[in-house]
Amino acid sequence: MSKQQARFEPYDFNGGTCVAIAGADYCVVAADTRMSTGYNILTRDYSKINKLADKCLMASSGFQADVRALQKVLGAKHLIYQHQHNKQMSCPAMARLLSNTLYYKRFFPYYTFNVLVGFDEEGKGCVYTYDAVGSYEKVGYSAQGSGAKLIMPVLDNQLKSPSPLLLPALDAVTPLTEAEAIDVVKDVFASATERDIYTGDKLEIVIVNADGIRREYAELRKD
Amino acid sequence: MRGEEKHVTAIDHMLEEQEGDEKEMEFLSVLPAASALTEYDRGVNTFSPEGRLFQVEYAIEAIKIPLLNVRSCASYLDRIGLFCGFFNWLGSTAIGLKTKEGVVLAVEKRITSPLLEPSSVEKVMEIDECIGCAMSGLIADARTLVEHARVETQNHRFSYGEPMTVESTTQALCDLALRFGEGDEESMSRPFGVSLLIAGHDEKGPSLYYTDPSGTFWQCNAKAIGSGSEGADSTLQEQYNKDLTLKEAETIALSILKQVMEEKVTPNNVDIAKVAPVYHLYTPAEVEEVISRL
Repeated sequence: MSKQQARFEPYDFNGGTCVAIAGADYCVVAADTRMSTGYNILTRDYSKINKLADKCLMASSGFQADVRALQKVLGAKHLIYQHQHNKQMSCPAMARLLSNTLYYKRFFPYYTFNVLVGFDEEGKGCVYTYDAVGSYEKVGYSAQGSGAKLIMPVLDNQLKSPSPLLLPALDAVTPLTEAEAIDVVKDVFASATERDIYTGDKLEIVIVNADGIRREYAELRKD
Repeated sequence: MRGEEKHVTAIDHMLEEQEGDEKEMEFLSVLPAASALTEYDRGVNTFSPEGRLFQVEYAIEAIKIPLLNVRSCASYLDRIGLFCGFFNWLGSTAIGLKTKEGVVLAVEKRITSPLLEPSSVEKVMEIDECIGCAMSGLIADARTLVEHARVETQNHRFSYGEPMTVESTTQALCDLALRFGEGDEESMSRPFGVSLLIAGHDEKGPSLYYTDPSGTFWQCNAKAIGSGSEGADSTLQEQYNKDLTLKEAETIALSILKQVMEEKVTPNNVDIAKVAPVYHLYTPAEVEEVISRL
């Protein structure tokens, strides 16, 4: 029989779900505010959404300590970029930087599942979705986290975007209006909360458009 | 010693913020006596008592930088106590002009022998898809700088998925200029003896930058560097205006080169390149076409 040795477990799973949707002239990112560990709730009021640049936000679920560290690293790199190049980072540039930062720790990854939203060079909404080691793709909408597999099929159904299976790939920005997209977000979170124990408490929705950045909250089931 | 006195006078003039051509010519014609310099000009990192880095100044003299406007250079001069004399220079002439359509670079190849293979003399090089560079002075030093710039621009593309701006590229080049000295293993033994004209196109439109061995860079609408730069710059001042077309700029650049070059201009002894908006080195046929328009 091999000896049982105490091992240090570097990761924890704090749960939570993030969703992002891009429209023609707006983008929406939403995340629940529950932070858990195991079967316990640590807090009902934790924001998973972070502003990286003027019009670029990131929402991350997974291990929140790694999320916080990643946010700090990106913030520092953005500051250096601003000093060296005299301008803010564009969203596509931030997207590439996040991918490289994640891959840098390929053999001891950040346990984070991210979505990045912002505006591309032409002012159209864009969403970038990531895995834990930096593989990324520009998409029209995405969900990450514990409730993602419950939510993604509903978004595929409800957002009236071109199918992601088409070749050549079409730009999957949703034709819905901002208000319609927010309604869809509230609906999918309500459904995910019913079935996923890690999702619930409150929903934080951040909307970015030409006027600036706006924050809304919606209640979710607390059980 | 007479030489030393005159030398101090020149510095005083500069610090008083001189005006007018008279004073300019006066201090420009002052040369330090050789005996006044020997103590402080050997060590690469050694300041002279007047606060001058002679090795950097000598590196600049390897190309030559004419003073067009003393006032505009006053703060730069204060810092490193540079003065410029008009000696014979090693650097072949290079000219850059910026237009709304793009930037033109023209260089004198200086083929010293009919046995020399003209296409092997490369004095205009591409740094990135939308950035090119013309050089004057110690060409081997320039190759090191261009290679560094190429690496920096590609690193930027990898990290950020976007092209590097022309100003950032120029700054990256100039960061290298002062890494010389005796202590560190990593540093060079002497300053770079080369001036560069960086021509590029980015989201701000076309731009032209000029660098020298001190590590300073200036943004210009038009500039000439190298041995013929004094005359070339004054002609550029007369002929340049912001609304030139690219074709007109080509003609002006080449006609000025013709002025300063001793030999007749042929497709084999000049190089022309444009960045409009991508870098393109002219083929001999295209150069011939511009020559025929002169």
